[in-house]
Amino acid sequence: MKILVAVKRVVDYNVKIRVNADNSAVDLANVKMSINPFDEIAVEEAIRIKEANKADEIIVVSIGPKENQETIRSALALGADRGLLMQTDEETQPLAVAKILKYVVEAESPDLVILGKQAIDDDSNQTGQMLSALMNWPQGTFASKIDLMDNEVNVTREIDGGLETIRLKLPAVITTDLRLNEPRYAKLPNIMKAKKKPLDIQQVSETGIDIKPRLTTIKVTEPAQRSAGIKVSSVTELVEKLRNEAKVI
Amino acid sequence: MNTLVIAEHDNSQLKPATLNTVGAATKLDGEIHILVAGENCDTVIQSAAKITGITKVLAVDSENYTHALAENMALLVTEIADNYSHILTPATTTGKNFMPRIAALLDVAQISDITGIESIDTFIRPVYAGNALATVKSSDSIKLITVRGTAFEPAITDNNNAEIQTIESGDNFAQSQFESHQLTLSERPELTSAQVVISGGRGMGNGENFALLEAIADKLNGAIGASRAAVDAGYVPNDYQVGQTGKIVAPDLYIAVGISGAIQHLAGMKESKVIVAINKDEDAPIFQVADYGLVADLFDVLPELTELL
Amino acid sequence: MANYKTPLRDMRFVYNELLDPEQIQALPGFEEISSDLVEALLEESARFCEEQLQPLNRSGDEEGCHFDNGNVTTPEGFKEAYNGFCEIGLNSLTSDPEYGGQGLPRSVATFAEEAMCGANFSFSLYPGLTAGAIHSIELYGSDELKKTFLPNMVDGSWSGSMCLTEPHCGTDLGLCRTKAIPQDDNSYLLSGTKMFITAGEHDLTDNIIHLVLARTPDAPDGIKGISLFIVPKISVTKDGSLGEANGVSCGSIEHKMGIHASATCVMNFDNAKGFLVGNLNKGMEAMFVMMNNARLGVGIQGLGVAEASYQGAVEYARDRLQGRALTGVKNPDEKADPILVHPDVRRMLLTQRALIEGNRALAAWVAFELDVSHNHPDEKRRKQANDFIVLMTPVVKSFMTDCGSEVSNIGMQVLGGHGYIRENGMEQYVRDARIAQIYEGTNGIQALDLLGRKMPEHFGRNMRPFFHAVRNYIYAKEMNYELKDFLIPLAKAFGRLQKITAVLAQRGMKNPDEIGTASSDYLRMLALVALAHQWARMAEIGMQKNKGDDGVFYQAKIDTARFYFERILPQTGALFATMMAGAKSTMSFNDDAF
Repeated sequence: MKILVAVKRVVDYNVKIRVNADNSAVDLANVKMSINPFDEIAVEEAIRIKEANKADEIIVVSIGPKENQETIRSALALGADRGLLMQTDEETQPLAVAKILKYVVEAESPDLVILGKQAIDDDSNQTGQMLSALMNWPQGTFASKIDLMDNEVNVTREIDGGLETIRLKLPAVITTDLRLNEPRYAKLPNIMKAKKKPLDIQQVSETGIDIKPRLTTIKVTEPAQRSAGIKVSSVTELVEKLRNEAKVI
Repeated sequence: MNTLVIAEHDNSQLKPATLNTVGAATKLDGEIHILVAGENCDTVIQSAAKITGITKVLAVDSENYTHALAENMALLVTEIADNYSHILTPATTTGKNFMPRIAALLDVAQISDITGIESIDTFIRPVYAGNALATVKSSDSIKLITVRGTAFEPAITDNNNAEIQTIESGDNFAQSQFESHQLTLSERPELTSAQVVISGGRGMGNGENFALLEAIADKLNGAIGASRAAVDAGYVPNDYQVGQTGKIVAPDLYIAVGISGAIQHLAGMKESKVIVAINKDEDAPIFQVADYGLVADLFDVLPELTELL
Repeated sequence: MANYKTPLRDMRFVYNELLDPEQIQALPGFEEISSDLVEALLEESARFCEEQLQPLNRSGDEEGCHFDNGNVTTPEGFKEAYNGFCEIGLNSLTSDPEYGGQGLPRSVATFAEEAMCGANFSFSLYPGLTAGAIHSIELYGSDELKKTFLPNMVDGSWSGSMCLTEPHCGTDLGLCRTKAIPQDDNSYLLSGTKMFITAGEHDLTDNIIHLVLARTPDAPDGIKGISLFIVPKISVTKDGSLGEANGVSCGSIEHKMGIHASATCVMNFDNAKGFLVGNLNKGMEAMFVMMNNARLGVGIQGLGVAEASYQGAVEYARDRLQGRALTGVKNPDEKADPILVHPDVRRMLLTQRALIEGNRALAAWVAFELDVSHNHPDEKRRKQANDFIVLMTPVVKSFMTDCGSEVSNIGMQVLGGHGYIRENGMEQYVRDARIAQIYEGTNGIQALDLLGRKMPEHFGRNMRPFFHAVRNYIYAKEMNYELKDFLIPLAKAFGRLQKITAVLAQRGMKNPDEIGTASSDYLRMLALVALAHQWARMAEIGMQKNKGDDGVFYQAKIDTARFYFERILPQTGALFATMMAGAKSTMSFNDDAF
């Protein structure tokens, strides 16, 4: 059993982002970057599967500039076995990412691919679904529980209003939701060992994959700030305002 | 060209977000068709035909669609996609599940969770958990879009009688099958689609006190939410969490009780139409986004509010 | 409020730009410690401290430790946090890899230690004392003792304590009365009472390994008759498993001003089986070598808590709207301006910042020299580094803990009444910081150690590495016109320091009280010059980089340096005058009139 985990390098979730001066993008200069939290959950899940002796190898792949090596290293420090950077400085949108991942999947032939359900920068929530479509594999998105059996996997999914369990034949693609697990901290000796784990780099430009963006960002703006409303002095006044002024009850 | 809306339903009734999605579709050119794929879903088909603005209902009744599995939905929609310039569906867990799959099969981008329509090819969507809004232009021939329901007015459902066209079922994707579901047995609406949400924070003191919120939610047919602090303190389960790492909600009325208003929480609820904050700390940041603020002890306020509603 | 974030940006600056990472990597044993590895290690350490230790800081303070019939329970959550802490290896940063440690340079570990102290001072003491005990055993223990105790101590499953103080002796350990009676099997039976024993008893680990100072029956009087013993709480059998309880018990825990979550114990030894560490009657020597290391650690405690206080103060100063700026309205949309606009608030914040960042730079330098003194291949260089450490140990311990107290007090002041009440967490920093000036040798004792012992030792040899470094820097940069605002006051303060050093050396030979009265002022003056040296270097780097990437950070370095040189360093003038005035007014005062 071989598991491929895809990880994205994103602005750290603690960072309060700002739109740049010409409204063309979010200002990323000197901003702390980290592994996408949902992808960290994906790495953790793969490690737990391996620790339960249900997998032999975990490969971590990331797509982007050379700095993504750090992101891969952090996944290796958690316990993945080897890394692969599909290097490119171009913008990669979900469809392009899915095509690059398809290329990697075809080369590595994993039995299971685990990804975060979405990246906390573009919030697209598409890549896992797209990859499974391109591979013609089944998909288990927004997983809160993964139960791996021989040749099959039961995935419990977070859906609006509750949970749904589906059964997928392997190979399959799974995307993670928040409750799937709580990622561990990397042990310091493992951070040191991660430096010695294999990390291959391949240029996306050499694969011939068309990664041209299909969406052009025209502008990026700050959302309208809500301004403080009024203070009411009593519950009676509150109910009156909600009834007659706001008309929401 | 025409627009196709893929309806979300549970085989017995349309989910409200479908109507908002039709509302969004009316901002585009051409006719609006609606696809109802399900099993024994005739009532849904009938109510879809009544939606103002719909000219045609595409109905398919097959066990392949009982649970709207992404694989089967994708195989079906790709068969008919060529007839449309736009395909829209609500940005719910169902729509988010199948729409990207359709997009990849059609080799087009998908535009997620739009909150505004600038023109037939240009859309506004929140990124970075709503801390920025991106205006994006699509160069694809078919635009596949998931729609944030709370951002668009719902279509009206009373006085239409659209043509109903039955279409053939697509193939069944054998490697994937539905096993079971455990839906939250609650009389209350689901958190992300409720029109009223009442959330408790650390100020609630413990889990038992959430009963005070339930009493109000019962009266307003609202859903119950919580801040991360309340979840971390173990008062309520994680799926109550509203915020950047929890659920994003935008109800007509959001009542924040004993919540200080960390940025993390605000990111999950600041798009609500009307925000009420009840907190005894008058400096709590939540008041900076609240339309109506009440500085008072929640344990005095909640029983009185329940009484008055 | 009180939401500590590890100052990783500044730590990165200090490590990569003030220190020389290549020099560290060139030391034998640290070949693999590359800059990017250090970055990854510190990030993960910081994350753990912020997410796991910090949330227990205030609750631990409120709850405190519980004592019940000899058993001590730590506050809720401490045990889980401790287990996680050891699991990722934070408890054994610098310990020998042979026994399971991480083998990191002190110049890296010092940043992680700062993060622990900033996030949760009390918590940091449990692994902190263990690290001290490990260090003593590493240096002086027999191979058998090392084999028996170190692996479990290094992996954190056993903790350590240092049992020095007794009810009647603290600073003067020569008065120590605890007895150690030799037995036929080469062991000893110890009896006596120790007090103020940090982590003497607690529920975090299966066993506690006490290092105890005691006296054998025929030992000489005073300090020359003290030996050091290992006394486990629970005996360790031949196969390494835990055996019977030893004659060690906790009599009570202290009720203290601060560090409430740290168990400060009275320990009773009643025919407890112990093993000699090092040579008989050479216990103090073993203790002192260990202390050089530990005292740097205590200085870091002051730094960590100061940083936490600064962050709370800045956050409040930005948010709190109160009054209008003296020069006109700055925040027209609101009814008042943030207090950040007020000159006195800015004075407070900049004082905090200048002391914190200066101390961080100085501590890193000392930590680096500590690494050199252990690992450098050239003996001459090792010795030189050791001289530097010998001199700077009391400076770092005292000045950085004095700053810890001063800075956390300022932080509380920024918040006014909201700093004084408990719920904002600022007063806890004041209470916690206070202990560091007292324990591990009071700051007064440190100052006396510096001026009375370290300075004259070997005809002033200990002074050379520091004095030469400052002098060489001034010489090397004197042609740099851009640096004149920093170099001129640095040279001036350094001149004062040189002069007063000579004066005191002379006066001290005639009258030792001259040394005793001047020592605290002298230590502070030396520290202020050491910080000035660091601030000049930081300003210099700032000037090279303030136009580029992250220019705001570098410009802030220049501006803080300017504040330091204009508004803090001039204190050296007053200190100079104070010391020149001599001992008379202090010593001639009639004792009966006190």
